[in-house]
Parts: sequence; structure tokens; C-alpha cells
Amino acid sequence: MYATKSEYDRGVNTFSPEGRLFQVEYAIEAIKLGSTALGIKTSEGVILAVEKRVSSTLLESSSIEKIMEIDSHIGASMSGLIADARTMIEHGRVEAQNHRFNYDEPMKVEACTQALCDLALRFGEDRKKGEREEQMSRPFGVALLVAGVDETGPLLYHTDPSGTFVAFEAKAIGAASEGAQQTLIEKYTKSMTLSEAETLAVSVLKQVMEEQLTATNIEVASAEVATGKFTIYGKEKVESIIARV
Amino acid sequence: MQTVEPVLACAPLPNVKEQGRFSPYTNNGGTVIAVAGKDFCVIAGDTRMSEGYSITSRNVSKVIQLTSKCVLASSGMQADIATLHKLLLIRLEQYKHQNGREMSTTSIAQLLGNTLYGKRFFPYYTFNVLGGVDDKGVGCAYSYDAVGSFERTPYSSSGTGQQLVQPLLDNQVAKKHQPNVLKVDVSAKEVEEFVRDAMTSAGERDIYTGDHVEVKTVTANGVVHQRFDLKFD
Amino acid sequence: MEAPIASCIPKGGFNFDLVSRNEYIQQAGTKVPKTKKTGTTIVGIVCKDAVVLGADTRATSGSLVCDKNCEKIHYIAPNIYCCGAGTSADTENTTGLVSSQLELHRLNTARQSRVATALTLLRQYLFKYQGHVSAALILGGVDITGPSLYTVYPHGSTDGLPFVTMGSGSLAAMSIFEAEYKPNLSIEEGIKLVHKAISAGIFNDLGSGSNVDITVITKDKVDVLRNYEKPNGRPYTRQYNFPRGTTTVMETKTTPVRQRVDVIESGVEAMEI
Repeated sequence: MYATKSEYDRGVNTFSPEGRLFQVEYAIEAIKLGSTALGIKTSEGVILAVEKRVSSTLLESSSIEKIMEIDSHIGASMSGLIADARTMIEHGRVEAQNHRFNYDEPMKVEACTQALCDLALRFGEDRKKGEREEQMSRPFGVALLVAGVDETGPLLYHTDPSGTFVAFEAKAIGAASEGAQQTLIEKYTKSMTLSEAETLAVSVLKQVMEEQLTATNIEVASAEVATGKFTIYGKEKVESIIARV
Repeated sequence: MQTVEPVLACAPLPNVKEQGRFSPYTNNGGTVIAVAGKDFCVIAGDTRMSEGYSITSRNVSKVIQLTSKCVLASSGMQADIATLHKLLLIRLEQYKHQNGREMSTTSIAQLLGNTLYGKRFFPYYTFNVLGGVDDKGVGCAYSYDAVGSFERTPYSSSGTGQQLVQPLLDNQVAKKHQPNVLKVDVSAKEVEEFVRDAMTSAGERDIYTGDHVEVKTVTANGVVHQRFDLKFD
Repeated sequence: MEAPIASCIPKGGFNFDLVSRNEYIQQAGTKVPKTKKTGTTIVGIVCKDAVVLGADTRATSGSLVCDKNCEKIHYIAPNIYCCGAGTSADTENTTGLVSSQLELHRLNTARQSRVATALTLLRQYLFKYQGHVSAALILGGVDITGPSLYTVYPHGSTDGLPFVTMGSGSLAAMSIFEAEYKPNLSIEEGIKLVHKAISAGIFNDLGSGSNVDITVITKDKVDVLRNYEKPNGRPYTRQYNFPRGTTTVMETKTTPVRQRVDVIESGVEAMEI
């Protein structure tokens, strides 16, 4: 820790003399506390898989939602502060619908991801008088894996609280992201089928999860090239994948 | 269905004392046509601009190329046409930056409809026909009213010569009232010749149509521009 | 006693029977029929011992061209012609009426008609109708007093001037005259100037168009130069071929001639040579 650090990590929009925005960096740290989520891209589509932390035997696991649909062809999984992700997803949904209304066509995945990230740095302390939107007081504490299909094919993007987004072939985020990413690097091949990707995604989760993996404590979804649709898998489908692992 | 034409002259109501009123609209005349083919579209417009019985310019373009696959032709009030065209070009440039490619013709059709409806209660005094090729490479034409009601059609015309030209299009493009004649695919060249003749005919009988015609032919490979003379009287 | 049908037969002159009915139905929302206007550029100049009249040939109804080659230089008398602008029906009937009156006058007097006489007939007639007869005229001719040229406005006012223009193209034409007119022009120079003035109207006024008509009146001769120039031919044409049988036959009915008339058969006789 630098002695000067405490002076520069108060204001969310104040650079440190080293050129760092500590609040944003802390927000990125927050993701490392989140549950593990991962995405794998194949030529047939993209797979998203997340672990759900069922902290109590009395908790209804179906009420934990960590993969959400943005438009019929785009969805996202998340790790970090899930409430923050909801704000972002809602923004993405509005943008996707506006695009359909304005241009009579689905929004491209990259444009949608950009729209999500546009929101990420819109934080600050003072709200200007007469400003329509209420300002956000801190950066989002969440990372997203955005999966979708459009005219260019299947796409997987990773976004972080700094508003940066990068395309990946396979990416893991959350608490066990380091180990999971290492496994993905070892096991991933460009020629994978979608079903092979499903198996890999669930097996990586199984490997990194502390609890016993079941159909209720993970979520799986895909964006398929053949149908052009984003689908969150039902319990039976998840069970069939677990059976393959 | 009803299409809307904005009220132009602010004529005083009967038995009401005449008073000076803000009258922001004027019709600068002109005729525009779009005819879609199998894999092309021909869009044409004259270049005369007039006000009352005066010609204010013999060389003002009503036809604008929006993308490599889409052309818009508008008649009505020149100032509104210019503003609308400028606005659309800006929106298309923004779209290109946000989405990494040109806007498709079908999307432009939707955008133009929304743009016009956005001014539902103070409309752009423009009558538009949009033409081009869609994402599948099929020729398409769209017709509009002034407040954004629009429809994809095989052919369309607008402006002061519409009443003269539309029956010609009905008969020659849609083969209306020719029960024994089969509709066959026609070449772009044939349509260009027909559109040129239709514009010439409008120039013969409509005093607001004249001087020159601009004809733009859109195919998947781009836009070809041609220009012909009409009568100058 | 007169048969009741006789009251329906028009006696001549204007009939005002329907005026109050028409006012009523207009108030109720009936549209007044559109009249054919000769949008028009008409001009006249006095040259050395001659009058040159000119006109375009476009007739319009609103923005529609309804005649591309109409005649606007009307005959009044062998030595007098009159250009008409305004509602075509009014210019045609007004000039026709005056022409008839002058013909009768010549039969009664055995003398050449004077331009001033025609002028008086026109202005008295137009004044009587208080501008409702929309005829704006240029009257020109050569008589015992020499060449003379007048304008007559729809309300009945008149002007005698060396060069005049009228109609919607009058400003375009007058700009040429104001720049180039000189007294005592030769006939050739006069024709050239009138041609230029009418062309200015044809090309710059949307109410005027098509061809140039010119009439030259001198003491002994009148030259009616109908379609002196045709600068506005159709620039492009295309052939349309409709196959035989394109028009739908809705109904067919044949009536043999024998049902209508008695046909008498007769042997064919050789012609006698």
C-alpha cells in the first residue's frame, strides 16, 4: 500500500499521481468475490455456464438468476454484484428494443455490448442541476459475459467495471476464474461442437465448485447459430449435460 | 386506411376577419418515381424548383444516394427536403460507427418512417419514395406520406406529376387492365427507358415538372447515375 | 298564349337564373368548376407603319397544361387583331362578339373598321360586367389613322402605348421591351423583338409555354405567323406495343341489319358503258 493511496481512493473520478482510478480497480476486485461464470465460443454457437451459490438448504435456487436474456439473440452471464448487473441488462434490453424499433432489424452483438459498457463509466459525485438521469455514485461491481449470434456469426464478449470489452473464444470470471481459465486454455479447441462445449463448460464448473454440482446449483445457456436464438436451458437439459460429464 | 397530407395554405375560415398568420409551408413542385425490379431499382426525379408561376432554380436535386444500396427521392418543400436529407445522412453515419456497417435499405425505410412520424404535428412537407436493393439483393421501393405511413411497393411516385404518372406505372409496371399480358422480369435498361419516358410525359403536362431528370439505378454492385433533359418551358 | 316551353329557350346574352342557387350550394360546400386559363404571355409593339402582336400557346387549368398549342391571337377585323389573356372562354367570346359587331358595322357603313371602334366596344362590354368577364387584351391594328396598339384590362380600363405586355408572363416580356424597344423599328426588327419577349415568357413563366405565335399587321397586309417558332418539342419518346385483344370485351351483342331495315334483294346488273 502506498502512503498516498488513501487520498486518491476517496473520489471516484480522481486519478492518482500514478494515473490510476482506484475505485474502478476496487470494483474489478469485487468480481473476484463473485461466483464463477464462464463462456465458450464454437462455430455452432456460444455456451454460457455459471455456478449458483445456494447458501442455505432452505433457499429456492430457482430465484437466483445469473444468466439473463437481453434480446432473443443475445444474453449475458454475470459475476459480482448481481443487482448492478440488472441495471446494465435493463439498459441493454432497452437499447436492443430501440434498435429494433428504429431500424427494423436485430441489434448486432458488438453494438449491444458497447451499449452496456457505455453505462459503466457513467458514475460521479455531483449531479448537475436539471439532469434527467440520476447519477450513479460508484462504478458497477460486476463483470458480464455477453453471448450472442448475429449476421457475423457467434460472439462472446467480456465486460468489466472500467467499461472495457474484449472478445474471447473462451473466458472465465469470478472467484475461481484463474483455475477455470487455465483449464479452458488447456482443453479448448476451435473445432469443438456445441455439445462438446456444453460438456467442457460444466466439467470446468464441477472442477472449481466447492459444493457438489447439481442441476439446481448451476445455470447453462446457449446462443445457437442454427436457430439464431439465445436459450436458457431447463432442468432436464442441464441434467443431461451433467450426465455426460 | 387514410394517408395524411398536411394542410398547406392557412386559408381564413368563412365569416372570420382575415388576419396575418404564420404560414411555414410552400410547395416547390416536382415529380419523383421509383420502380423496383428483380435485382435492381430505378429512382428518378426532375431538377426544377418553383414557387407560384416562377422557376426558382432549374438545377436542384431531389434524388440523394444514401448508401451504396439505397437512394431517396423527395418532392415537396425544398427546405424541408434538404433538412431531411441532411438529417438522414447524419443518422446513417452514426449508425455506421455504432454498428460497423452500412444501414440496410429495409432499416433506412424504417428510420425514415420514424423520422417523419417524429414530426407528426409539425411535419416535414416532403413526399418521399425510397428505392434500392435489400439484404437479399432483391430490388425494393417504398412509398410514404408526409407523416411517416409507409409501405413496400413494386413501384411508387410522388409530387406534382403523381396524378399523371401513377396510371402509367399501374398499366406498364403492374400490367393493370392488360388481362392477357403476363408479368415478366424486365431489365434495368428497359425500366430506365420507361421511367425516362414517364418523366418526359409529366414534363409535357405538369407545369412544375421540367428542366432535367436525374435517374439513379441501384443494383447490388452499386449505383449508376444518368441525367437527361426535359423541356425548359 | 305562349307555350310554357318557350321560356326555357335562351334568348342570347348572359343568363343569371342560377346565380342565387349556385351561391347557396357553394355555401353548402359544392366546389366551383375550374375554368381554363391561358396563363399566358401576350405582347404587342408599334413598329414603323406596322403593329406586331405575339403570344405563347399554353393553356392551363391549375398546374395542368390542358392545351399545348392554342391560339391566343384572335381575329377582330381584316386590319385588326387582338391577343387575349385570362379565362379562355371570356377572351374567345369577347373578341368573337366584337368581331361580329364590327363585321355588321362594316356592312352598314362600307368602311374599314377603326381600332378605336373595337376598343370602345371592348371597354364598354368589359366595364358592364365589372371585371367578372376575365379578359385581359392587347388590341392592335392599322387603320386610316395609322398603326395603333392598346391594352384592355378586365374591368374595362384601357391604355394606348407603343409597347405592351399582358398575362402572367408580362413581367418577363416587359423586361425585354424595357431593355430593347426603340421607336420606328423595321418589321424584321419588330418580329425579332416580339419573338424574344414571348420566349422570355415561355421559358421563365410557368403559366406560359410551348410555341411562339406572331401576327404582323401593316396597311395593306396581315401576316399571321402561326407557330413562328416551336422550341419545345417532346425531348424523348418510347414505343408501347399492346398486343391485339388487350382491351377486355365486357359484353357482345349482335343485331342483324334485317331487324332494323328492309333489305330488298336485286339482281346484279352490269354497268352500262
